[in-house]
Amino acid sequence: MANKKRNEFFLGLIMLFVGLGYLWATANVPRKSEGIDASFVPYILGSICSVLGVLQLLGAARLVAVTTSDANDSSVDYPTVWKTLVLIVAYVALLSWVGFPVVTIAYLMAQFYVLTPADQKPNWVLYALVSVVAAAGVYLLFRHAFDLMLPLGWLDFATE
Amino acid sequence: MLELFQQGFEAVLTFQIFGLVLFGTVVGIIFGAIPGLTSTMAVALFLPITYGLGPAAGISLLVSLFIGGTSSAILLKIPGTPASVATTWDGGPMMERGDGAKALGLGVVFSFMGTILSIVALVFIAPTLAKMALSFGPHEYFGIAIFSLTLIASLSTSSMVKGIFSGVIGFMFATVGIAPVDAIPRFTFGQVNLNSGFEILTVLIGVFAIAEIIKVAEEVKYEKQAAIKQVDMKGIKGFGFSMAEFFEQKWNFLRSSLIGIGIGILPGIGAGTSNILSYIAAKKQSKTPELFGKGINDGVVASETANNAGIGGAMIPLLTLGIPGDAVSAMMLGGFMIHGIQPGPLLFVSQGVLVYTIFAALIVSSVMMLVCEFYGMRIFVKLLAVPKHVLLPVILVLCVVGAFGLGSRIFDIWTILIFGLVGYGFVKFGVPQAPFIIGFILGPMAETNLRRSLMLSDNNFMDFLTQPISGTFIGLAILSIVWHVVQMIRGKSGGVAS
Repeated sequence: MANKKRNEFFLGLIMLFVGLGYLWATANVPRKSEGIDASFVPYILGSICSVLGVLQLLGAARLVAVTTSDANDSSVDYPTVWKTLVLIVAYVALLSWVGFPVVTIAYLMAQFYVLTPADQKPNWVLYALVSVVAAAGVYLLFRHAFDLMLPLGWLDFATE
Repeated sequence: MLELFQQGFEAVLTFQIFGLVLFGTVVGIIFGAIPGLTSTMAVALFLPITYGLGPAAGISLLVSLFIGGTSSAILLKIPGTPASVATTWDGGPMMERGDGAKALGLGVVFSFMGTILSIVALVFIAPTLAKMALSFGPHEYFGIAIFSLTLIASLSTSSMVKGIFSGVIGFMFATVGIAPVDAIPRFTFGQVNLNSGFEILTVLIGVFAIAEIIKVAEEVKYEKQAAIKQVDMKGIKGFGFSMAEFFEQKWNFLRSSLIGIGIGILPGIGAGTSNILSYIAAKKQSKTPELFGKGINDGVVASETANNAGIGGAMIPLLTLGIPGDAVSAMMLGGFMIHGIQPGPLLFVSQGVLVYTIFAALIVSSVMMLVCEFYGMRIFVKLLAVPKHVLLPVILVLCVVGAFGLGSRIFDIWTILIFGLVGYGFVKFGVPQAPFIIGFILGPMAETNLRRSLMLSDNNFMDFLTQPISGTFIGLAILSIVWHVVQMIRGKSGGVAS
């Protein structure tokens, strides 16, 4: 986010796009009457959002392009953010098929590794221990204490 | 009232609930103290745990997490919450000159007293307000919902455009599913899972927990550990200050409490503002204003009293009208709903004992906070050493389990991820998150009451302005927007996008 003007402009575009998209979706809501019905409030919301988008774009256009290099932006570690997102998506996608205990252990180990501070070496023994204890503990607690049937996946044979 | 209070205390002082309240207060203090974790996140994470508990036990646990999370962690020199900014202005210098224990003691005791006074205000104001609110119809509820939405959207950030956008987006997400009154499916795109709309809990976990985890991932790898200064407690008697020093603060305490309670009641402006306002008020009234900022007791007392006095204040609109004023009270509302409790005036009539159990839980956990914070601080400091890169993934797993527990659907887990990305996007573009949540919660209330009112008044919009209560609130909503626009033009704040 080096350029504030570009950022604000991009947000304006998102607002306008969301507002217009919502208005389009509202037009497809089945009408019950010609008067006030289920699409009345959505039309108001879509219109407000679109107007806000235009105001944001106008405000952004008036801003002087400033290239900021503040400490906050320079310290953002996007590769770690992306790896984290990929891991979370994979975790959820595999949850029912592989099962909660196994996929949780795998996710935790991988996520600990990805987030390990740059000046430290991964402590695999600790990671393995925390992963197994957390996965088993959460599974047993919720399955037995709160009757929550978390998916068992590959381990399902063990209960048959 | 006394009988109800007695029943409330009897419920809270059972072994199970007392244990839960103690546990909740300690966990709340830890979450409030660890940078990157918040009391809002603590309440979100523990909501699923309360599924299996009864309403009294579940709500007491949530209340204690809420109270514990407002601890004066800043006295440990931990960077963080806006609610304690003003505390550091004098707490910091006191710590540096070796008066850390006194600063901590004053902060903890006056936090406790501010909380208790605000609970007293809650106990007296809430039932009266609830009685008044019993006569409210759809026009009044619509007026109040619109007033709350506009206030929070315009006051939560310097850019009104972004604040309103956030509230509108929250409202838009709330329109997904079966429409009120007409019962027509809207924006479901043929997905059966969307017919009942988005669960409030998935929205809260997504926006406040998942988004925060992604945000922490941005810097955890290269972050330098903040040095935590330990307070030397050797030779300290009582809470570290004398009775004379305590009584010196009586007017400061009273003024700061009133500021905190008043601001807590208003939606949108919470402890982040009240601690600074009461600090300024204390400085203005002081005979020695030049000592402020150099380590004076009054500064710590003003800030810590006001930020905790907001607790009772925020509970007033939540319990009597079902309107949350900030993120953590929105989370509390989610907790109430999970247990089938609908906050509002009827709650005081139909479930009086439960209401007084909540009051009792607030008082008991405040006492716990007082004891745990002062005497347990050295233990909590050690807990802060738990590495974030180990803690956060475990929290994510708990979020996933919490979402799955709502209806045993993987769909709900995907939902928390989507709302997590929305919340993260908000952070990146400087859009405030609180109006989004309030829009999501109050949106359906506003729409349902708008439709009902129009049916009652034969589609006559003027009724909203001619009825005194709704007219007043809509007038105030318009005024708050006009005032903000005038401020923006006057201050030439660099255009709407700044």
